[in-house]
Amino acid sequence: MATSAAPDTVKHSELKRSITAKQLYFYVVGDVLGSGIYVLVGLVAAAVGGAFWMAFLAGVAIATITGLAYAELVTKYPQAAGASLYINKAFRSPLLTFFITICMLSANMAAVGSLASGFVRYFSGLVGLGEEAIWAAAIVAVIFVAIITVINLIGISESVVANVVMTFIELSGLVIVITIGVIALVQGVNDPSVLLQFATEGGAGNAVLAVLAGVSLAFFAMTGFENAANVAEETIDPSHAFPRALIGGMLTAGVVYVLVSISAALAVPISTLAGNTLLEVINADLFFIPATIMLFVFGIIAMIAISNTALVTVVAQSRILYGMARENVVPAVFAKVHPVRRSPYVALLFGGVIVSAMLIIGAAIRSTQSDLPAEEQLDIVDRLATITVVFLLFIYALVIVACLKLRGKDEGPGVYRANTPLLIVGIIGNLAVLAYTLIDDPAALFWVAGLLAVGGVLYLVQRFVGKKHPVSPGGAAEAVEPTRSKES
Amino acid sequence: MHVIVATDGSRASLVGARQFKWIADSREITDVTVIAVVSPYAAVPFANELGPQKNTEMAELSFRDEAKTAVDIVAAEFDAWGPTIHTQIRSGSPAQEIIRAAEDLEADLISMAAGSRGLTSTILLGSTASRVQHSAPCPVLICRPTRNSDRALS
Repeated sequence: MATSAAPDTVKHSELKRSITAKQLYFYVVGDVLGSGIYVLVGLVAAAVGGAFWMAFLAGVAIATITGLAYAELVTKYPQAAGASLYINKAFRSPLLTFFITICMLSANMAAVGSLASGFVRYFSGLVGLGEEAIWAAAIVAVIFVAIITVINLIGISESVVANVVMTFIELSGLVIVITIGVIALVQGVNDPSVLLQFATEGGAGNAVLAVLAGVSLAFFAMTGFENAANVAEETIDPSHAFPRALIGGMLTAGVVYVLVSISAALAVPISTLAGNTLLEVINADLFFIPATIMLFVFGIIAMIAISNTALVTVVAQSRILYGMARENVVPAVFAKVHPVRRSPYVALLFGGVIVSAMLIIGAAIRSTQSDLPAEEQLDIVDRLATITVVFLLFIYALVIVACLKLRGKDEGPGVYRANTPLLIVGIIGNLAVLAYTLIDDPAALFWVAGLLAVGGVLYLVQRFVGKKHPVSPGGAAEAVEPTRSKES
Repeated sequence: MHVIVATDGSRASLVGARQFKWIADSREITDVTVIAVVSPYAAVPFANELGPQKNTEMAELSFRDEAKTAVDIVAAEFDAWGPTIHTQIRSGSPAQEIIRAAEDLEADLISMAAGSRGLTSTILLGSTASRVQHSAPCPVLICRPTRNSDRALS
């Protein structure tokens, strides 16, 4: 090109990153906080008993150790692809990378489904929809997924300020619960010894099992932190900002979770909480504002919190599909970007369809189970959360292995180094919870297989129908190239 | 004068850059800065549709690299035109960052493209161009892709 020939046309390039450590911290807190506690607290309480805060504590601990591995890997490879990238760097196996990417995609889809169903629980609480209205609930959930998809199509959730505001709203709801917990403790509503009660009576061994039963669900509450890797490329000074923001954010969320679960256990009987939402805590009417008003306010806060996490999860999911299409492993149509809104509309719509399909299948199974006892019926929130956790535990364990395997490679001065014994504990923790989850709920494997099959089908379509070396959509490549060569 | 040419990696933005070059007088312009903005929280932070689409390696997709490719292709349009060419990649909200760049560089003109033709642009108006022209510290040239400009310039 003529650039170097003419001295007055020298190019000066400049790169400006934008995400500060503080913004990243809020991103992590907002991402982690919304997902689990609003949706799952009742299920965890039912599984463990009064001591269910221990399940949250264990879940937080395992997730935070995984967060350490992420922090180390992100400072080494500050790129957008997250887990898939690390697995690829460590194992150099295209098949394994593809498999992990599909697992991540499936985990995100199942998470959106679980969040949508959790949203419906709060929505039902506000409008008075009964538990027997299975199809009405499914329709509301599908509408929720559709709205989240449209919001992402338009792309209005991208604002940094909106993210911080959402995080504060999520926190405010949990602060209300903690305040109620303090009031309950002062008034002596429940005997504090409830905090050491387990659902299964018996020795210490049973107590451990009871906590394990809750951990896999409590773990769902911590997921979402891995989305922080998405913004790694745009973080200012990632080697300093990342470990602090990620671990700080996860610990903040963890402390809030443990306090919320202790508060909930103190304020209402475990039998009331079991299988229900945090609305039961508000319903106890211990707050200085009447419960009728608070139920409404809290319901809205919970729905905003769940929506925010669902939005981020859908963004992550469509980004994975977009990336895979660019890597030529799924059909190129998923890389199509809307000409004006710049959102990957095909990927977004496809994700919406798959999640809706899961919700409808769940409702269909549920409607055939009306004659079964309540505890044997399918709980769609529980099931989809379990599936998410199965995928993520597997990915997280492998990410920690990748972290250890990549030691000594690409180590610059700014690379954060996680504590090795802790990482080994993390691998064992992730695998133990994974094994327990699968033994406890083997039926989840059918759903896991179903979701993996979707990825497999996409791959096969690309393999046999897609072009080997697709040109850019609309033939832009041909149109641009000749003009450039003419001018230079 | 110093002109900012913004690109979002779309074909419309390249046509817009050519339109600007066709309208403007290169003797009056001392500097051209080509800018792309990566939006980190968006589903696709930057989608580059310019140049030969190379498929990225497994898990190696970098939106910053995508933005760099787009900026370089648009900057190449101004090769040997006269003014000094700068490139800049920023991150954040596109409209806000284009305005900030104009303030930082004390630009005298922003040139950018507005969406595309057709039904989609009537339903989903491109908000970046309208936001920039609302609060820019300098004149804004919004290039509309028309049937003629497409044929004459590409």
